Amino acid sequence: MIKVRNLKKEFIQGQERTQVLKGFDLNIEEGEFVAVMGPSGSGKSTLLQLLGGLDVPTEGDIVINQSNLSNMTEKERTIFRRKYIGFIFQNYQLLPTLSVEENIAFPLHADGSLTKKKNQIIIELLDSVGLKGLGRKRANLLSGGQQQRVAIARALVNNPSVLLADEPTGNLDRGKAEEILGLISRFNRENNQTIIMVTHDIFAAGFADRIILFKDGVIDQVISRKGDDYAKYVANFMA
Amino acid sequence: MSVKYGILTLLFLQKNHGYELKLELESHLGAKGKINPGQIYTTLDRLIRDQLVLSIGMDDQERKLYEITMEGKKELENWLLEPVPYHSTKEDFHFKWSCARKIDFEQEKKMLDQQKAMIMKDVMELTKFKTEFLLQGDENRYLLITGTLLHLEADLNWINQIENRNRL
Repeated sequence: MIKVRNLKKEFIQGQERTQVLKGFDLNIEEGEFVAVMGPSGSGKSTLLQLLGGLDVPTEGDIVINQSNLSNMTEKERTIFRRKYIGFIFQNYQLLPTLSVEENIAFPLHADGSLTKKKNQIIIELLDSVGLKGLGRKRANLLSGGQQQRVAIARALVNNPSVLLADEPTGNLDRGKAEEILGLISRFNRENNQTIIMVTHDIFAAGFADRIILFKDGVIDQVISRKGDDYAKYVANFMA
Repeated sequence: MSVKYGILTLLFLQKNHGYELKLELESHLGAKGKINPGQIYTTLDRLIRDQLVLSIGMDDQERKLYEITMEGKKELENWLLEPVPYHSTKEDFHFKWSCARKIDFEQEKKMLDQQKAMIMKDVMELTKFKTEFLLQGDENRYLLITGTLLHLEADLNWINQIENRNRL
C-alpha cells in the first residue's frame, strides 16, 4: 500500500549539502503498524515528513494508495494529505485558545463547512479517545495526556488511511504513554489504519508489528514480530 | 555462566592449565562465586572428547596443558554470534559479551545487532500480550510482563551504550 523507492533527501544551506536520506526502498502493508527508530539525525523524522507530503524528496518515489507523491504539484499534495493522511506530533500542536471540539474539527473546515454528520463524528471521536464531556473546554487547560488525545482525534477526523506519528508519547510519562499507545493501536486494529510512528523509545515501539531501524540515512535493520509458535512459547513462559 | 565457553574463551587467547583456567574464570569473566575445580576438569574432558580442546602435555611444573582446536574456535564463534533469549536462564548475554571483548571478537557489531533484534522481537511480542492482559483485566500478568519489558529495555539501552562508545 505504501511503496518507497530509492528515497533520497538532501538539504542545502549556503554552500553546504547534507544528505539526510541516502536512498532506500520500503514497503508498508495496509493496516500495518510500523515503528521507525534510530539515533538523532538518522533521517527518521525526515522520512515521516516526506511520507506525509509535507516536503518533497530530492530523488525517488513515494507511492501511497497508488498515487505517486513525487509527481504531484504542491496543491495536489495538500488535497491528498487532507484526504488520506493524519498527523500526530510530540508537542500536540493544538490551537490553545480554541476548544477541544474546535481543534478536532479544524481539518474539516479546510474542506468546507461543518455538517450535522461531521459534528456527530466529532462527538463519537471525543468518546472514543476518552474525552467525553470535555468538548467545550479550552485546549490549553487540558493535561498533556488529554491534549494528545485531542490531537489523535483531530488526526482521525477525516478517517485517513495513514496515520503518521512523530514521537507521540515523547512528552508523556509511562502511564499516560501506555494509554495513548493503546489508543493508537486500537484504531490500527479496529479501523485498519496504517500507522507509521517515529520513536526513540522501545517501550513505544513495542506496540508495532515491525520496527525499522534507521542509521545514517538508510535502513539498518528490519525487525518483525515473531510467528504464532513463538507467541505460544511466550504465553507458556509467562504462565 | 557457561564454564564450557568460558574455558574456550580463555584457551582462544593462549594455551593454559586447569587451575589457571579456574582462577581466570573467577576473576575476569564475572563468574559469580567460586567455581568447583571438578567442574573445570570434567568440562575439559568433555571438550577433549568433542575435539574442541587438545591436551598437549605438561608444563614445567608438571601441570597438564590444554589448547583450543580449530573446531573449538568455530564453536566459540558460533556461540558468540547466537543471540540470547531473555527467557533462557542458562546463558547470559553479559557473560557472552565479556567473552567476546576478552578475545577482541571481530564480529562484535554483528553480535550486538543480532541481540538487539532479538530483544526488540521479544518486546513487540510481550507488548502484544501486555495489552491483551490489560484489556482482560488480568492485572497480575500485566504487571509481570511490564517487569520483564523493563528488564529488556535496560538490556537494549546497555547495548546502545556499547554501540555509542564503540563509535567514539
